[in-house]
Parts: sequence; structure tokens; C-alpha cells
Amino acid sequence: MRHNFIDRYANLDSPLHVLEARTKILGYLSLIAALLLMPGRNDVVLLVYAFVAAILVGASQVPLGYIAGRSLVILPFVLLAGIAAPWTNSFDGARFMALATRSFLSVTILLLMTSTTPFPELLRGLQKLGCPRILILNLGFLYRYLFVLTEEVLRMRQARDCRRAGRAPPRVELKLLGSMLGSLVLRSFERAERMYQAMLSRGYAGEFPVLAPRRFTWRDLTFLAGIALLIVSSFRYAGR
Amino acid sequence: MTEYAIRITRLSYSYPDGTKALEDVDLDVRVGERVALVGPSGAGKSTLLLHLNGVLSGKGMIRVMGKPLGDTALREIRRHVGLVFQNPDDQLFCPTVFEDVAFGPLNLSISPQEIPHRVERALRDVGLDQSIRNRPSHHLSHGERKRVALASVLIMEPDILALDEPSSNLDPRNRRHLIELVASLPSTLVLATHDLGMVMALCPRTALMDRGKIWADGETRRILADARLMEEHGLEVP
Amino acid sequence: MHIPDGFLSGRIWLSLDALSSVTVLYAARRLRVQASGHTVPLMGVLSAFVFAAQLLNFPVLGGTSGHLVGSALLAVLLGPLAAFLTMVTVLIAQALFLQDGGLAALGANIFNIAAVPVLSGYGIFRLAGGTQSHGRRLAIASFLSGWVSIELCALCCALELSLSGAIPLRVGLPAMTGYHAILGVAEGILTSSVLVFLSRPDLIRRGAGSRLPVADWVAVVALVAVPCAILVLAGSSNLPDPLQRLLASADPVYGRQGESEPFLSPLRYREFLRALTLIAGAIGSAYFLGRLMRGKRSKL
Repeated sequence: MRHNFIDRYANLDSPLHVLEARTKILGYLSLIAALLLMPGRNDVVLLVYAFVAAILVGASQVPLGYIAGRSLVILPFVLLAGIAAPWTNSFDGARFMALATRSFLSVTILLLMTSTTPFPELLRGLQKLGCPRILILNLGFLYRYLFVLTEEVLRMRQARDCRRAGRAPPRVELKLLGSMLGSLVLRSFERAERMYQAMLSRGYAGEFPVLAPRRFTWRDLTFLAGIALLIVSSFRYAGR
Repeated sequence: MTEYAIRITRLSYSYPDGTKALEDVDLDVRVGERVALVGPSGAGKSTLLLHLNGVLSGKGMIRVMGKPLGDTALREIRRHVGLVFQNPDDQLFCPTVFEDVAFGPLNLSISPQEIPHRVERALRDVGLDQSIRNRPSHHLSHGERKRVALASVLIMEPDILALDEPSSNLDPRNRRHLIELVASLPSTLVLATHDLGMVMALCPRTALMDRGKIWADGETRRILADARLMEEHGLEVP
Repeated sequence: MHIPDGFLSGRIWLSLDALSSVTVLYAARRLRVQASGHTVPLMGVLSAFVFAAQLLNFPVLGGTSGHLVGSALLAVLLGPLAAFLTMVTVLIAQALFLQDGGLAALGANIFNIAAVPVLSGYGIFRLAGGTQSHGRRLAIASFLSGWVSIELCALCCALELSLSGAIPLRVGLPAMTGYHAILGVAEGILTSSVLVFLSRPDLIRRGAGSRLPVADWVAVVALVAVPCAILVLAGSSNLPDPLQRLLASADPVYGRQGESEPFLSPLRYREFLRALTLIAGAIGSAYFLGRLMRGKRSKL
């Protein structure tokens, strides 16, 4: 796993990248919520949202292939829903399409948010919006140590493969995996102990210090206003 | 104005499972002095260092800058003693380099306005480019991470600098830079290491540790040249 | 198992978001009181561990693959409070980094994958006498806690999807619980291998061995009672009017009838194709319109 799979396009310079983290979080979340709460089978409104999403994707400088590729994660669920469709009360191709579209658009909007914001900044935005401190800390540690752990996993896997001769029966495979995971857990405990000592050594006394995020500009205001306008008008249109 | 930066008297420490790590250790270090702690793995060097800033506490008396460890608030101690760990991945735990380097001063309640300047200075002092500030530590090379770890401690302007195996896994060029950097610092130095070349370059005085005790303490050249002593404790004459 | 956005009805995802937010805030506050200094870095590193471990796949049923979920394991090692928050962290990270699970559906996923499995894993482990045991007894207790936690998770998932009208119970329940019965075996085996490998009764005592304070038991009861209330409400029409309007018509597709006439039906093949081409063209132009606004090209 490349170490830059997170934040791969987060340091580009597009009109979407310069927005503050809080703006993006609030804006994109509202878009998703509105999209999902859109009354009934309102295909016209869905199309408008798709249109807006496409503009945003274009403006973000993030490669189209990346966004399209990542959004395929919803495929298994879509397939399951599709297979189950004949057993529902009303089987209708258009309705299924609308479900798939909503799902696809939601994940695209999510991608817009995450791919245009470096993760540490996203965390600071979440913190300013009131997310519990423990989650922010944990997410920070996860982000920081994920790469270290993945390297350990890869090394262990290589070492395991060197000692293997062909595929073992599943029971044995699982036992091997179990001991790999076990030693990873052990190392995690030891690492946590050393981290704690390092934290103490630099004056940690129970509270993690806070740094201020970027400041709010007219661009943020415009973005949020645009989104609010879109949402309000789409609900009014749909409610007619 | 105290003469002694560190005074350790009859320090003993056992791990929770009972193994003795330190046994009656005595060590006095003057202000501005540079002492090396050498010895085989498992000798107790790292354990001793962890006592200097109160992370571990054993039996016996420790005085830092004249004040006993028990009396002084731990936060104060950590202002005086800067400990750099062997593995930078244990010491750098924040999402970005900036946050890691700023962690110490923020804990010491230095005003947030002053922090960016201090961070900039600290990074410059260890020879790193300012552009790495917003990058996560896992994007850096091992040598760069070691420097960031050092910066995160130097930024607190400690009187006493304790380094645990600072040159481990460093290539020759980075190692040389590190030696030059440490040589230029005015703080009292306690250096725990296997790197005897570094010891000879930096520390006039050496204490030899093995199995939790100090077996010899004196002029570096004399101790490191004593073949019988060195071999007896699992070391080689450089 | 991580439900994406678009499959749950408004009623379900909004209420589960509310429930999960309250639970997370409550747990965070309780943890501040109860946790020792070591807990913070430990939770952090174990979050990274679980995230990384979930990327280690093993083949199941030729074709698909499964991975360790880890809720039960964490419950035993950290105790329910810390384990819950650690899993919440992992779920948020998975949604943000891997787009595994939607943002609106996060509340539901937290309930299904963090809350229920951690609590049930903790409970079953204690009931099976895992806390004071080692060897075979430990292995069995761990296996059971792992297996049950996964099955309950799948059950909740199926219930939510069927209540939303996306995947009916007739299909969803056997599919989910059946498939996860097999995955649950793997989870159970992995959980017990790890715990037996570690054989650290001191860790287990600190984790699963910790008794849940009375206040937290009340919270657990609420955690179970509220979804049941939701189950009841989901079927009823006795909600205040504005809420009714918002939620009633928010069922995705397979739910109640919407107000307006859908653009794409009646579905005749040629018309459908023409409409599709027009739409594709419009979307494509929108994309290129966006590109015009993208500003200076920066180096990747």
C-alpha cells in the first residue's frame, strides 16, 4: 500500500481546495443529507444534483478516474439490492436507478470532501465543530501510525510467505493469521507504552493542546450560500 | 547557581515483574558536562535515562538542577530535562511535523503566537527545511525523523539533554551532522550509546554500565582503552 | 457490512445518527472520568491496528473474502467503553479514507459495528467465564464472543435495510445472517487465537474484567430500548405532521409513493436510451464546465 493513498490529491490548488475545512464538512454533509431526504421519486432534482456534483468534480482538479474508481465501493450493495428487487413490493427499473444514483452521488460528494482536504486539516475542522476530543486524538494517532502498522503487516506477511509451501487448509491459515495479529497487538501495547513515556517527557499532563485552524473567508461564505440556495430551491421544487 | 546538573544517589529500580534493572547507581554530572553511558544491551542505560525526567521512579535520591525529584512538579522537571528516544516513531505521534515539534511548548503553556517562530527556529537548528512542517512524519526518511524528534525536544530549551542511541540506523553523513549538531549545543549532555566513535568525539567522560550497575566512571580515553574492562562487559576497544 | 448512503430511509438513518451521537458523546465523557493516562495512546494505536487488520483479507466461500472486524477482541482487551470509542474511530476513518460506509449512514454503522458487537462481545465473554480463564476455556469464551458479535451485527444490518425498504427481510435476513455465520466462525477463531497467543490475563482483567458502573448499565439499557422504540415507530404514522412529511416521503425508492411523476417512466427501451444519452451529455458538459473553473494546474 503506498503511503500516500490518503491525502493523495489533498495538496492541489483548486477553488475547492482553498476552502476551510469546516466549510467543506458542513457544505458537503448538507448536500448529502438533502440528497437523501429528497421527497419521492424526483428524478429532475436528482439530475440537478448530479449536474452540480459534476461541476464540482471538474473544478476540484482531482482526476476523474480516481473519483469514479473509488465510488465503485457501493457496487456490492447495489448488486444485492438489485438481486433482491423482484421480491420487493414494487419492482421498477427507474426506481432502482434512482436508488443507485443517490448512492453513487453521495459517495462522490464524500470523495469531494476528503480528496480536497489534507486529513490533519479535516481533523482540526471537526474539532472546531465540536467533535469529542478523544475521537480527534484517536483519528490523529490512526493517521500517524497506520503507515507504520501497514509496514509491519507487510513484513510479517513476507516472512510468513517465505516459510510457507503452498496454500494450507483454512483452519491453519486462520491460526497463522491469528498469531500474526496477536503479535501486532502485543507490539501495539508496547508502542503505546513508549508513546506514553514520550508524551510525558514533553510535558503531557492529561490535556492535548489545540492549534487554530484556517480562517473563514468570503469564498467559504459564497460556497455555503450556494449550497443553501440549491438545497432550499430543490426542496421547494420537489414539494410542489 | 548549582554546580551539579544531576546528582543520583543509590538509585535502584525493579520492573513490575521483579527483574532488577538498576542497582545502587551513583552518578553526578556537573552543569555543562558531557557524559557518555556505554554498556551492552540490557545494561539499564535507557532505564536510567527514564529516571532523569521522572517517567520512571525508583528507590534512591535524584536531584536535577539542585532540586530533588520528589519535591519538584514533574512538569518543571520536563522543562529542564529533554529526553530523545531511540526510535523516532515512538516520539513523533502527531499528524504533522509542526504539531509534533509544537507539542512540548504547548504543554509548557508558551503563548500560541510565539509557537510558530519557535518551531521555525527549532527546525532550522536541526538543519531541516521549513517545507516539511505540514507533512506527516511517515513521509520523512529515518534521518529526517530523527532530526524532527531532536527538534521537538530542543524547542523546549532544556538545561539537560539526554540522548538514547541517537546515531542508531543513521547513515554516515547523517551521523556526522548529528555529531556536529550536538557538539554545538551548550546544554549538559548525557549520551547513552553503542557508538563509541561518537562517544570519543563528544564526551570527555564515560560511565560504563552493565547489569544495572556502574562499573567504571572516568576519563573516556582511559576507560575505552582498557581492553580487559571492555571485554568483560561485552564491549570492544574502538 | 458497512452500509453506504442511499440504502436507508430517512427515518432510520436520522434516528440512528441521533442515537449514535448521543452514545458517542456519553462514552467520551465517561471515558475522561474513568480512563488512565495510558488509555489515550493505547486506543490510538489499537485503532490503527484494527484498521490495518481489516485490510488483511482471507478467502471465504471461493470468490468473496472476509476480514477480522475486531469489536469483540477490543472489548476484551480494552473494556467496553474504550473499545466502543476505538471502533467508532475506525469506522470514521474507513468512511473518510476508504469510502467504506456512508456519512449519513455512519450512525447506523456505529450502532451495528461498534455498539452492538462491543457490548455483546463483552457480555458473552464474561458470561462464558473468559475473564479468569486460560487455554481451552479462554478459547471457547473468545470464540463465542466473536461469533455472536458478528451475527448480531448482521441481524441489525438486515433489519435496518428491510425497514428502509431497500432489501426486504425475506432476502436480507438469510443472506446477511447466513453469510456472516461463516464469517463469524473466522472472527471467533481469530479472536480466540489472538487472545490465547497473548495469554495476558492481566490485560484481560483490565479490559473485560472491568465492571461496568451502574450509570453505564442504564446507558446500555437505553441503547437497546431506543432502537426498539424506533422499530415500533418506523411502522407507525402517528408522528407530528411536519416530521411526518419530511420522513414519510424520504423512503428511498422502494418505500411509499412520492408526489411527482418520475422523469424516466414509462420505460420504453428507445426512449430510455435517448434520455440516458442526453443525461450523460449534460453531466459530461457540467464536468468540463467545472474544469474551466479549476484554476491554475498545480503539479501533482
